[in-house]
Amino acid sequence: MKVSMNWLKRYADIPVSPEEYESRMVMTGTGVEGVEPLGEIENVVVGRVLTCRDHENSDHLHVCTVDVGEGEPLQIVCGAPNVKEGILVPVAKIGAKLPGGVVIKRGKLRGVESQGMLCSGPEIGVPVELYPSVGTAGLLIFNEDYPLGADVKPIFGLDDTVIDFEILANRPDCLSVWGVARETAVAMNTELKLPEIKVQEVGGDIHDFAKVDVYESELCPRYAAKVVKNVRIGPSPAWLRQYLFAAGMRSINNVVDITNFIMLETGHPMHAFDLDKVRGKHIIVRKAEAGEKIVTLDGKEHPLSGGELMICDEMGPTGLAGIMGGEESEITEETKELLFECAAFDRASIRITSRALGIRTESSGRFERGVSPATVMDALERACQMVNELDAGDVVSGVIDLYPNPVKPATLTVSCARMARRAGVDIAPEEMESILKKLLFKVERNGDEMVVTAPAFRQDVDQEADICEEVLRYAGYERIPITHLRGETPMGGLNFKGVRQAVLRRQLTGMGFYESMTFSFISAKAIAQLGLPEEDDRNKPLMVRNPLGEDTACMRTTLLPGLFKTLATNIKNGNENGRLYEMGTIFDAQHRTEENLPTEIPSLVLGMYGDADFYKMRGVVEAMLRMAGIDYAITPCDEPYLHPGRRAAIAAEGKTIAVVGEVHPDAAERFDLSGRCYVAQIDLPALFAAAKPLGTVKSIARFPAVNRDLALVMKDSQQVGPLMDAIRVGCGAMLEDIRMFDVFRGIQIGAGNKSVAFSLTYRAADHTLTDEEITRLTDKALKIAKEQFGAVLRV
Amino acid sequence: MDIRENLAQIGEELKQELAKTDALQPLEALRVKVLGKKGSLTALLRGMGQLSPEERPKMGQMINEAREKLTALLDEKQAELAAKEKEMRLAAEAIDITEPRDLPLIGAEHPMNLVLDEVLDCFTNLGFSVVEGPEVELDLYNFELLNVPKNHPARDAQDTFYIDDNIVLRSQTSPVQARTMLTKKPPIRIVCPGRVFRADEVDATHSPVFHQIEGLVIDKDVTMADLKGTLDAFAKRLYGSDIEVRFRPSFFPFTEPSAEVDLTCFNCHGKGCRVCKGTGWIEVLGCGMVNPKVLEMCGIDSKVYSGFAFGIGLERITMLRYGIKDMRLLYEGDLRFLKQFR
Repeated sequence: MKVSMNWLKRYADIPVSPEEYESRMVMTGTGVEGVEPLGEIENVVVGRVLTCRDHENSDHLHVCTVDVGEGEPLQIVCGAPNVKEGILVPVAKIGAKLPGGVVIKRGKLRGVESQGMLCSGPEIGVPVELYPSVGTAGLLIFNEDYPLGADVKPIFGLDDTVIDFEILANRPDCLSVWGVARETAVAMNTELKLPEIKVQEVGGDIHDFAKVDVYESELCPRYAAKVVKNVRIGPSPAWLRQYLFAAGMRSINNVVDITNFIMLETGHPMHAFDLDKVRGKHIIVRKAEAGEKIVTLDGKEHPLSGGELMICDEMGPTGLAGIMGGEESEITEETKELLFECAAFDRASIRITSRALGIRTESSGRFERGVSPATVMDALERACQMVNELDAGDVVSGVIDLYPNPVKPATLTVSCARMARRAGVDIAPEEMESILKKLLFKVERNGDEMVVTAPAFRQDVDQEADICEEVLRYAGYERIPITHLRGETPMGGLNFKGVRQAVLRRQLTGMGFYESMTFSFISAKAIAQLGLPEEDDRNKPLMVRNPLGEDTACMRTTLLPGLFKTLATNIKNGNENGRLYEMGTIFDAQHRTEENLPTEIPSLVLGMYGDADFYKMRGVVEAMLRMAGIDYAITPCDEPYLHPGRRAAIAAEGKTIAVVGEVHPDAAERFDLSGRCYVAQIDLPALFAAAKPLGTVKSIARFPAVNRDLALVMKDSQQVGPLMDAIRVGCGAMLEDIRMFDVFRGIQIGAGNKSVAFSLTYRAADHTLTDEEITRLTDKALKIAKEQFGAVLRV
Repeated sequence: MDIRENLAQIGEELKQELAKTDALQPLEALRVKVLGKKGSLTALLRGMGQLSPEERPKMGQMINEAREKLTALLDEKQAELAAKEKEMRLAAEAIDITEPRDLPLIGAEHPMNLVLDEVLDCFTNLGFSVVEGPEVELDLYNFELLNVPKNHPARDAQDTFYIDDNIVLRSQTSPVQARTMLTKKPPIRIVCPGRVFRADEVDATHSPVFHQIEGLVIDKDVTMADLKGTLDAFAKRLYGSDIEVRFRPSFFPFTEPSAEVDLTCFNCHGKGCRVCKGTGWIEVLGCGMVNPKVLEMCGIDSKVYSGFAFGIGLERITMLRYGIKDMRLLYEGDLRFLKQFR
């Protein structure tokens, strides 16, 4: 909320620099987003052009003598077309500062000395919006008479500073100059000088001019109105225009400006109706019926769905309550009689309507955050006082005030000791009392106990903790000491998932993988690009109702699209040999929890390209399983985004823990991956479930091992894994290990064949193996290889 | 010829031969030539049979002494040559130690996890347990139990993604607080890291997905000074012992009193710089004493227990920590960025 500091200073003294003021306000809870001095000019004064002649060396420059009310007249060279003798203009003297850091220096223009500069409006930063008459072309020429040598800043309100306050959500009362002035007076420890409100009325009775009925007193707890007759529409005085401009509002006319001024000053949004356009001169506050329409002040027509709170006359809607007035009853040059509305509306109702119609105004924003019904009359009377002051019309006597259930101020009984304990600060009861009184609370204290009554404008206070905060804000947060937790210290630590994931991260770091993170939502298109069968649950993601766009419309059911995107980015950026992974949550919308929430599953995907192949990718996954103590098998897999001849599922006890493979060329194309990429996806809950904790260690075998190497020739299509598994099973416990160490293909062993070399390690736990036993084991292995797999010893 | 002369001659010849020998193999041949079965000294020994029984022991002793001497000479030479050969072999084996080769691959965790690890390490050491909650959350836990009823303007500050009327993408990690209070009895000390979602378009400082770390303590007589002490410990642990915390009044629906927390700017150490916009302070997190209304809604007696809560933005502290100027880098996965966090 932007506020003119000059306006604020009318109600509370600020005897410090804007910077120090900012700091004091921030430390007492009124945020400041910006401090902007309006006039960045210095040494620019009113001067009169005494003489003006053509420059001898130029066809457009003039040489003037200018009286600035002191000493000899200045000689100034000026290029403006509208310069002439006798005019009053702003003069930037030698050393003057202009907006944008410009400094005026003594100089010569085409050989003639110039002791300053005559200025246009924009050159000295006069806002054209505020003073349209100053124009943008040529010199600014004053219409009124100002003393020569006078500083031009106050003339245009440029001696002001605009402060942009950041008001906390619980303090709607501070969305006003009075509200900030109240905080300022306490923060500065100066006197609060709110105006005395007096209205001069011309007699008559408001009830002869207008009638108001509120049918929805729940949604409109208070509706107050005053009538002004003999309305005299005209421009607002400069000071009012300046205040509104500082707040970022446009001046319209005196009456509309009064309503905006009152909203900014008191925090109460107001509306003025042209009473002659209110049919039946009868205001009715009711809910809209479906099918009704309203044309708002901005000329837009809004169809209503029914239920919106409306200000109506006898024929239909004439304003959206608390949001925007209607075009029909708008104040115009012709307005003769007007009705000022000052009301309180239900927060939620205003918010719902404002959102539904997409209209957000200064007014709706204030009502949403809460406008106190208790202070409505102050604002309304202040508006009438302004009518008097600006002579904008005659205020009719009497008021309409529909306020069936007056709000009682909150009264609380609080304990000083308890509040001090909560704050952790030693604040004496006397100090608490004094702070609260400065904040306009009523306080009756009896020792430790205080009965506190909140001022009418405060709706945010309803418990001791709130009072504690008020006290602490002004006692000073910097007084909170540093203490440490006492009492029973619980055993802290990571959760199970956190521990397991930290282990996996370390393992992956050790294997050369970099961790990436992508968004939790993806597009339906990205899922479709995986080419999964229609019935696959991954095709049925949880949809976000109000996504930012299609790309973020559904919650990811797999981390793969994110990984593919990351891989594609890196390939495109020319990063060689990528190894990347992401560990994150995927969402299964088809399996809901008891609370009807989707199942959230931790998942891990890995990808590599460059110095990579299927076996390297699979090896990384295998290493992770081995480090988790899992016995696994490599089994077929049918994930469609993987190369049909280079994909595998890795399973333990029949359950798939991981899939691994080369990205299918079709999928690679769809995901913009150039070159071969290898990926793996690990089902983390399955991995965690299959992981075996370390048990008792085995003693180291005392008897020697014997190695035998075998080269077996088999068909190229014969998988090696099942053969090794069969030999393991067949040879039993005395076969300690079987490893493959070479594969050879060549004409020597026939086309379509391969020779695979294995190393077998035999050992018995309780004796040294005999030659006979070794031969028996080797024969057994050869027999299995030949009979079950057609693999024969290479000769 | 006298045996004695023979011995002297053998010794002299050996010395001459040894002087010429520069390798182990010829040395071994020399040894055989002198001491072997057919060696010159062995021949002398055999010739002893012709000597008289009186001379034999004397000569025997003389030959044995000579044998020991010659052996010593040979051994000495052998040691010398062996050392020389080893030296030559090692010299020949010298490699170019600057050739870049066989680097084991290294990887790295995401910078946010590096920072998160430090944060969690700090709080778990203070007795906090790590608790996680669902990212797709009931409106009840995300808002209502935290004192933010439907249509409350406090919802504006958090533009929320909805699944339906009752289910949201959590806009904060605070719902884990509510879930914990409803299921656990005090004392409670938890930290809840996790992803949160708000409908912000992506730019250098905003992302619709980001991370928070929520903290909650509930016990008897917990004060705002304890909160300050806990956060002070956190700040010093993460950013150094000269870092101070500053509380500023603020508002959150679920805490009362509430505070924004600034830390001494770790770039300029409080002197004022570009990072802290000249103030010497950096806004890092929000916190406060748990609103008694929240305690009551979550079934904890606010007359007996009090507590504090805080919420830290992980992106923000990560960006501050490593001087990252654009949040998008954290989600792009570009290796040129990720490789810097080894």
